[in-house]
Amino acid sequence: MSIVNTRDKTINTKVVYYGPGLGGKTTSLKYIHSVLDPEETVRMVSLKTDEERTLFFDFLPIDLGVLGGYKVKIQGFTVPGQVKYNLTRKYVLMGADAVVFVADSSEERRAENIQSLKNLGENLAANGLNIEEIPLVFQFNKRDLADAMPIEDMEADLNAARLPAFATNGLTGEGVFDAFVRVTEAMVDGVAKKYQLESPDGDIAQITRERLRHLTSIPK
Amino acid sequence: MNDSQKLREDRLVFYEQDIEEFVKVLAELISMSNAKAALLIDKEGHMVAREGTVRSFDTDSLSALVAGSFAATREMAHMLGEDEFSVMFHQGQKDNIQLTLVDDRTILTIIFDDQTQLGMIRLYTQEAVKQLQSVFEQKAARKDSEPGVDLDHDFTTAGKAQLDDVFGS
Repeated sequence: MSIVNTRDKTINTKVVYYGPGLGGKTTSLKYIHSVLDPEETVRMVSLKTDEERTLFFDFLPIDLGVLGGYKVKIQGFTVPGQVKYNLTRKYVLMGADAVVFVADSSEERRAENIQSLKNLGENLAANGLNIEEIPLVFQFNKRDLADAMPIEDMEADLNAARLPAFATNGLTGEGVFDAFVRVTEAMVDGVAKKYQLESPDGDIAQITRERLRHLTSIPK
Repeated sequence: MNDSQKLREDRLVFYEQDIEEFVKVLAELISMSNAKAALLIDKEGHMVAREGTVRSFDTDSLSALVAGSFAATREMAHMLGEDEFSVMFHQGQKDNIQLTLVDDRTILTIIFDDQTQLGMIRLYTQEAVKQLQSVFEQKAARKDSEPGVDLDHDFTTAGKAQLDDVFGS
């Protein structure tokens, strides 16, 4: 849940990358890091096993800059996808403002995608949040796989509400940043509505989109 | 909105007055215990207030890790039949860190080195926790009677120049 500090003029928000194990959540957040902070002035924290599997979470602090007088900060988290780490997933979702669901396009992972999405709904509810209300976008990841399911089938399995969905490749980054921009826009828009914030400079979601696009256009 | 939802919402905005009170308590804690830094961190991993010397770019990650660490510890407590462990202490070669639960949502984090002793830290932390709890109680009681700060006003009066600074346009 976003936290507002009127003394330091900051709004802290939280975006969580969710999905089945080995689906590309950590890789996606790493890609966002490489785009927004190519010189790695900020470190991405990963609590992982010796086998490079996420044990607790990955964490990336993102500074969105000043939006109409308030400094908006995003905490980017991933959850561990392995089924056995459900308690950890529930904890990481606590206070989430938005979710990116990273589904694995492999035909073999179909049931795991469906199970993980169901698990997301349950864990959001356990935190007093509602999957039908929280800003949520989908990444249909690993589109380069030979056995990648057709997008329409993945939509039918996972996205009955027809929320924004992006065909992505975590390794090349294709579509990953677009998904992040879309969820951030929706989240900032939600926060602005919640606190009845308005900017004299136009639509807040649009400013957010331009801001993120601008950050990526800075010569590296 | 029911009572629990209202309580939840109330906790999300920390007004200037609250932060000033928190910082005052943290500053006194550092001064009395000779610690290096003190931070007040929300269980969701957001930093609420800080005082003392901490490299600023580290505080976001530190806050997330403190909250995660506390969540893991809570599960350990449950396994032993405890509701919660209220204090955690990590000892390093030079620097040490102690985490103390303030209320159901907030963790007081104190960083100190060999310029002080654990006993001093424990003593003054106990006192600081009582004071912080009192600030939270006052904050909760105040909500019903005062409208608080108008966020909208602050937001809309911010100039375009500020945005241009960030955009670099």
